[in-house]
Amino acid sequence: MGAASRTIPGARVDLVRPIGIGFIVAAMMPLVILPLASIFIYGFSKGPVHFWEALSSPAALFSLKLSLMTSSVATGCNVVIGLIAAWVMSKYEFKGTSALMIIISLPTAIPTAVAGFALLLLWGRSGLLGQFLEHTDYQIMFTTAAIILANIFVTFPLAFGVIKPALDNLETSYEDAAETMGASRWQAFRYVVLPSLRGAIITGALLTFARSIGEFGSTIMVSGNLAMKTQTAPLYIFTKFNEGDVEGANAIAAVLAVISFAIFSLILLTRKRLEK
Amino acid sequence: MAGEVVASLHQTKDWQTRDWQTRGWANTGWERQGDGEIRSARREALAVRGLSKWFGDEKVLDDVSFSIAEGESLVLLGHSGSGKSTTLRLIAGLETPGHGEVVLHGRRIEHLRARERNVGVIFQNYALFPRMTVAENIGFGLRIRGERRKRREAVIDEMLALIGLSDQREKYPSQISGGQQQRVAIARALAYKPEVLLFDESFSALDQQTRVGLRREIRTLLRKLRVPALFITHDQEEAMELGDHIAILNRGRIEQIGTPEDVYNEPQTEFVATFLGAANVIEGCWRDGFIAIDCQQCMAAPRPIQASMQKAKMVFRPEDITLHSATGFVEAPYLLGRGEVLDVSFTGANESLMIRLLPRGFAGQVNIPDCGNNLNTPCNLVIKVTRTKWDARRLHLAPGDSVSVGLKSYKTLRG
Repeated sequence: MGAASRTIPGARVDLVRPIGIGFIVAAMMPLVILPLASIFIYGFSKGPVHFWEALSSPAALFSLKLSLMTSSVATGCNVVIGLIAAWVMSKYEFKGTSALMIIISLPTAIPTAVAGFALLLLWGRSGLLGQFLEHTDYQIMFTTAAIILANIFVTFPLAFGVIKPALDNLETSYEDAAETMGASRWQAFRYVVLPSLRGAIITGALLTFARSIGEFGSTIMVSGNLAMKTQTAPLYIFTKFNEGDVEGANAIAAVLAVISFAIFSLILLTRKRLEK
Repeated sequence: MAGEVVASLHQTKDWQTRDWQTRGWANTGWERQGDGEIRSARREALAVRGLSKWFGDEKVLDDVSFSIAEGESLVLLGHSGSGKSTTLRLIAGLETPGHGEVVLHGRRIEHLRARERNVGVIFQNYALFPRMTVAENIGFGLRIRGERRKRREAVIDEMLALIGLSDQREKYPSQISGGQQQRVAIARALAYKPEVLLFDESFSALDQQTRVGLRREIRTLLRKLRVPALFITHDQEEAMELGDHIAILNRGRIEQIGTPEDVYNEPQTEFVATFLGAANVIEGCWRDGFIAIDCQQCMAAPRPIQASMQKAKMVFRPEDITLHSATGFVEAPYLLGRGEVLDVSFTGANESLMIRLLPRGFAGQVNIPDCGNNLNTPCNLVIKVTRTKWDARRLHLAPGDSVSVGLKSYKTLRG
């Protein structure tokens, strides 16, 4: 028995392993790796000075700043709302829980152009809410506020989606324990629940920010794409390319790619630390 | 009576204003307070009166009442779903109030929020805050109460010394063992001087050895601190060991409250008899001062009989039986008759046997009253018996052997 089942080491070569790895790399080259690489290859092909000039044009810098600002605000809003929503949804059972869950998650399923269009219909001149703004000095559409609203809409479920399962996994007895020890609801949340959610909140925020900073479809609908006013970085890339200014588009594209890469690395890092 | 209430209110105040560092629970001055009269009275620390609770249409607690004296412990013992956890959560304020009163040191608390009740709860999974160190966990109650850092640290040190974990001060809960977590949970509850400690199945997550050791430790600790405690458990051994009194809860009702000896030796219901240790329960019938069981006419009843020809149950524990050789003399107050050994197993300290009672020779001639229990059917009564290893050595028995069965004591319950 023992002799019959003995195999010679290395006699059977597993071909699936090298072929599998080779296939993935081969497929990713034209699909992902080469497109990304070409941004940087092209960007620096005329030398770093040229790249720096394209990047430091006022419109380019403005679009980057605007993107960072609107994404930060949208991220802050969605983390706070997502945290409250997750807390309510995981603590209480009520009629319509699943309906509410679907509504919260809906924005991920809706095409971004549709989302932008919907916002236009709501806040536009004859829209449901927009008609009330018609005769005031305030306008939402084609302003920074519109970009933020669009970002909030599109990234709404992301933070919630990360925080909710973390809250579900948290023992309810933590809050009970804190309360019997004299803590108010708020203190129990502040000192016990919140620290336990730290990782989920950071991950949720990073995901929201990453998704938000690249948002294009809804932003182009609601912002009006006004240079130095409502032109975010992705819109700037699109506009410059259409104008034939490939260097200008490429410089911002490279910066956005680096930011996304950095955020994604952070997410992976925090997740690894959380799993410890 | 009124004087007692005043006295207990005064104690509450004393409890809350006590100096943290220089005095422990044992010498809080209560014992010296007043005179011997107060001292000898059973002072109520926690009382629950007429507690009822519904979950939807289901009544999970039905008129539950009990009290815990100062420095004493009570164990609520019952199966899961008996309402024992609900009782604890109602006392702690973690459940929306039902009907009835919860009185803590003379203060009605059933309408208060959990944080206003000043009780300490040790949860089943301990619920130690995972992002706080052992020291931070213990100091949490004081931090919430706005105690200064210096004082907090002093109490934390005192508590850590009390539970013998001073070297684990800066560890996180996930880095210490289950038994250590349990001790930290107790220290955390003790740190803010609660008026009562509530243990919610606090030992069930531990392995047998740790559990036994910790139980002993906690009993010693509670005696030392004289802090009243309520334990919730389904483990009768744990109940016997931890409780000055045991309350047996069955389907939301208290079946019996008493000292461990009381409830074990004088069970009032079949549930109590069978839940606390093993018991033989045999249906029978009262008749003229006797109780008749299946094919045997038996012994005088130990208690006055309500009426003749009434259904009754005869209850005795496996260790209440004595076994003798079939021809030998039965040295026991009562004789159950002859029996046949069905099964013998050795369990270490004891030997346990299954014995089938055999009909008496004259069964045909005696008309046994049966109260509708059908006692005259061919007899097939199997009882559980345990003997010490010394008894087992004196009279070796094997399946098929014939024995005389004696009975040292038994209880009768109304059928």
